Amino acid sequence: MKKTPIWGMWLFTVGAFAFVVAILVLVKAVPLETFSGMVTGALGTPGGWRGTLREMTPLLILGAAVFLALKAGLFNIGADGQYTVGALAGVATALAVPGPLGMVLALGAGCLAGALWALPAGLIKAYKGGHEVITTIMMNNIARFLTVALVAGPLRNPAQESATTKILAKESQLPILIQDGPFRLNIALFLGLGIVIGVGIWLRTTVSGYELMATGANKRAAEASGVSVAQTLVKAMTASGLLAGLAGAVHVLAYENRFYADFSPGFGFDALGVALLAASNPFLLIPAALLFGAISQGTSAISILGVPKGLSGVLLGLTILVFAVFRYRKETPHA
Amino acid sequence: MSQETPAVQMTDIVQKFGSFTALDHVSLAVQKGGIHALVGENGAGKTTLMKVLYGALKQTSGHVELSGRPIQFRNQAEAIQNGIGMVSQHYAIIPELTCLQNLMLGAEPGWAIPVKKAEERAYDLASKMGFSFDWNSPAAGLSPAGAQKLEILKLLWRKASIMILDEPTAMLSPSDSDALYDSLKSLAEGGATIIVVTHRLPEVMESCQNVTVLRGGKLIDSRPVSDVTTAELANLIVGRSLEIPTKEGFLGSNPWLQVKGLTVKGDRGNEAVRNASFTLCKGEVVGIAGVDGNGQRELFQALSGNRKPQGGQIVLAGKDVTKEGQAQRIQAGVRQIPEDRHAEGVIEEWSLAENASLGLQRHPTLRKGSFIDRKARLDFASKIAERFRTKHSGFQKPMKSLSGGNQQRFVAARALAIDPKLVLAFQPTRGLDIDGTQQVYNALRATARSGGAALVVSFDLDELLEHCDRVMVICHGVLSEVPENQTRDRAAIGRLMVGAEL
Repeated sequence: MKKTPIWGMWLFTVGAFAFVVAILVLVKAVPLETFSGMVTGALGTPGGWRGTLREMTPLLILGAAVFLALKAGLFNIGADGQYTVGALAGVATALAVPGPLGMVLALGAGCLAGALWALPAGLIKAYKGGHEVITTIMMNNIARFLTVALVAGPLRNPAQESATTKILAKESQLPILIQDGPFRLNIALFLGLGIVIGVGIWLRTTVSGYELMATGANKRAAEASGVSVAQTLVKAMTASGLLAGLAGAVHVLAYENRFYADFSPGFGFDALGVALLAASNPFLLIPAALLFGAISQGTSAISILGVPKGLSGVLLGLTILVFAVFRYRKETPHA
Repeated sequence: MSQETPAVQMTDIVQKFGSFTALDHVSLAVQKGGIHALVGENGAGKTTLMKVLYGALKQTSGHVELSGRPIQFRNQAEAIQNGIGMVSQHYAIIPELTCLQNLMLGAEPGWAIPVKKAEERAYDLASKMGFSFDWNSPAAGLSPAGAQKLEILKLLWRKASIMILDEPTAMLSPSDSDALYDSLKSLAEGGATIIVVTHRLPEVMESCQNVTVLRGGKLIDSRPVSDVTTAELANLIVGRSLEIPTKEGFLGSNPWLQVKGLTVKGDRGNEAVRNASFTLCKGEVVGIAGVDGNGQRELFQALSGNRKPQGGQIVLAGKDVTKEGQAQRIQAGVRQIPEDRHAEGVIEEWSLAENASLGLQRHPTLRKGSFIDRKARLDFASKIAERFRTKHSGFQKPMKSLSGGNQQRFVAARALAIDPKLVLAFQPTRGLDIDGTQQVYNALRATARSGGAALVVSFDLDELLEHCDRVMVICHGVLSEVPENQTRDRAAIGRLMVGAEL
């Protein structure tokens, strides 16, 4: 077994950093100022924290969704589409049934929509061998255009110029736990943390979690151990979709309070990064989601310095690469 | 001969893994142009020593010389450039590629491959060895013997003059094994140096010139085969006299597993098992002899619930289980020692503790309701590790940290641990030494006697004759009983195995 030399990895890290600095110089920003602005903007002020935690919330639930599928050996690239349909279903339900009951129904509708959106990919994978990456990408496109059509048509708020739904009534929204003071916290954050912890505990302590992970680790061994691999794949994909759909519903009920065309800024894809950073430990989803939330919030904060917002994508991508270099170091195939 | 500089000279090799000493001042001299056997129990250090030789491991101390020239390979690629290659127990054949592509893989003649020329050279190499290959057909269709041959040709393609073969006959039928040694002999006569790591002493006695015995990482003895008897060799390997098992005659009368008219389709839609009918009595250990690929796999898959039979009936302990799935059969007490432990028996990245419950994860003793009972699982892991003395360095360590033989011990013990009613053992002693083989069969027998039955597939007829109560034969999917007056007649059973008339 050979290990990549440690200096090589540090060289890579420095290279990645230099790349970011080069971009900053290119857009005529002062690197040092930019970095300190990012950190302050994300974690240095109450407002920054509020934004960071807000960005973190959907990433927690979506991260758990992607993580769950990953443990069953499935790449749920479709989390973004499931999130989008979940959000629309949540808004539509909450608009139809106002009040706390509607809110609960809306969360359920989000789950259902996400699960149904993932189900075909699970079935195709389990029984026809069609790769889930391809099918979920297709489902993402369908989700995107279908929701745009719906929000431009039957669900559109006629009082608005753009394609958007009405805003949810206050009593339909997820409650804010700490209203006053600098830290305004929505219950959604705790819901997200609870889901991550719940998924982690379920995977590690239950027999069904064990069987799901056996399926992901070695299908033939799972089959020989009495696990129905096909059923497990369908269930894992559907459960992953369910959580992703829930993330969408939670996001609209807690923060956005409405649905509009091209709703997702790519949370579903960021969640892939979150799950990959967490690697084998579900509880690492929490710091990973926090990191992603902070980078996202930090880059929004410095956009006033003239740094393009797209920088967050560059930073996230490089972060994953650097982590990957360190993480997979030991896994160089041995002789 | 002994005055010549040896082709391989390894001197005072020490290999430590942490605090564990795998090789303790081991020396090995291999003469050019012969077949040298390296024997020893599981974990004796045979594979480790070979890995040092071809550069997969860097020794802690000691040095290696090839024909008097000191070398230190950094990796296998360097080793092969210097003419040393290894065929490991697990063939590195990629089924999707053609035989020719597999042959060249990693040693292509250039950026663009002159197919005609490559084919010619492949054909020449093969015919020199007396092999024949359909070079442009996918390697997926190769039998284990074919894959083994292709692996040897891969070394010849790379112009290896020193070849290491790890358990080369483990998956081969007796006639294929003989053929393999014939080709090895002709290679050796042509000047190649061959090192064979093996457990099969008859092979050593018949085909090798020299033998080196390792035990517990130490060199025990090294001498010409002509100076040693099989019994002496066995004693050198184990370090004490082996008890010769007294074979008790066992005749069951209580039908336990009844199979009637079972027909099973193979992956290619062929009838892999045709109309098989047989009965296992309570307490019996029954062997199925046959050349690899004659339907053993599909028969076992049908019995374990992994493959739906086309027709027929399976009755276990008076209950028709034909329609039941794998999980239900496990619940009914069907246990497997699977053929391919890497692919089916273990999850290599998982810890020993996690692997202990694989297949038994729903057994009431290993869970509390829907939850895993971790404590019970850990106790269980230590119980099964103890049974066949699996060498390990902790139950939280990944399964892949164990040597192949130790993994096999673990997997075999697991299958025999809780309520086994029918044990399906496919090559249960693959990679095990004499002592381990004995232990596993003793346990199989004890398990069967205490209220179950065991069905054993092995490609080693001698092993089956030695350890099983009786032997059936499978050939081209047709299962047949051995006529009563010939049950111990090796030659007669051998003829049945190849479908010849009695």
